[in-house]
Amino acid sequence: MTDQPGGRDPATTGTDDDGTEPDARYTFANERTFLAWSRTALALVVGGLAITQLLPPFPGIPWGRHIIGTPLILLGSAVSVISYLEWKASRRALRHGLPLPRSRLPQILAIAVAVIGLIAAAFALLSAARVP
Amino acid sequence: MSPPAGRIPAGDEPPDDIEYADPGLARARTELAWTRTAIAFAALGAAVLKFHPVVGLPVLVLSAVVWRLGRLPGRAGAGHARGRRLLLITVTTVAISLAALVLSFTGPGISPLR
Repeated sequence: MTDQPGGRDPATTGTDDDGTEPDARYTFANERTFLAWSRTALALVVGGLAITQLLPPFPGIPWGRHIIGTPLILLGSAVSVISYLEWKASRRALRHGLPLPRSRLPQILAIAVAVIGLIAAAFALLSAARVP
Repeated sequence: MSPPAGRIPAGDEPPDDIEYADPGLARARTELAWTRTAIAFAALGAAVLKFHPVVGLPVLVLSAVVWRLGRLPGRAGAGHARGRRLLLITVTTVAISLAALVLSFTGPGISPLR
């Protein structure tokens, strides 16, 4: 997920603390960004679960709710993991005075939500057409 | 005499960034972000609790843990300690989403085949 040198290494390598300590405000800002993405991830999981469990089924579309809800739950998982990796990459960049790596999360989230939204709209129209 | 652009203002000039005067604001904002995250966990836990107490209760307990983590003192630079806190959030979210996947296919919702 990152082009930073060694950015993909797990936390076990012990090289995370090299470089110099950045301004504490940058460290806090990086942490807040991670927390904001984590809340986004939780919201996606909750949304997916609500769709599969609480939404009435789409008439005539078997597994319709699961086709919409399951990708949302998986997306929440992915956002959570990627945001942690990006927090790590940003932290490394800050410690070495490098430019911050670009985040891929906005693009991932935008595309995924757009696709799922289109599918949901199609299901809504299809099921409406089946109900007289 | 004015400081060069991008430098910390000299002592006789008012800082243009309030956080030069009080860097604690960043810490306070971060604590609030932890609080929001804990509330998100609590909301999720309460919602799940209604249908699946066995899954919802641990999530509610976790929200208290998250709230507490945000308030633990800890140097901003204490890298590994803070990193482990964040990793806990990620691991928890992945675990919750796995539970959500299982629930969504086995839960007591209306028959998934329709």
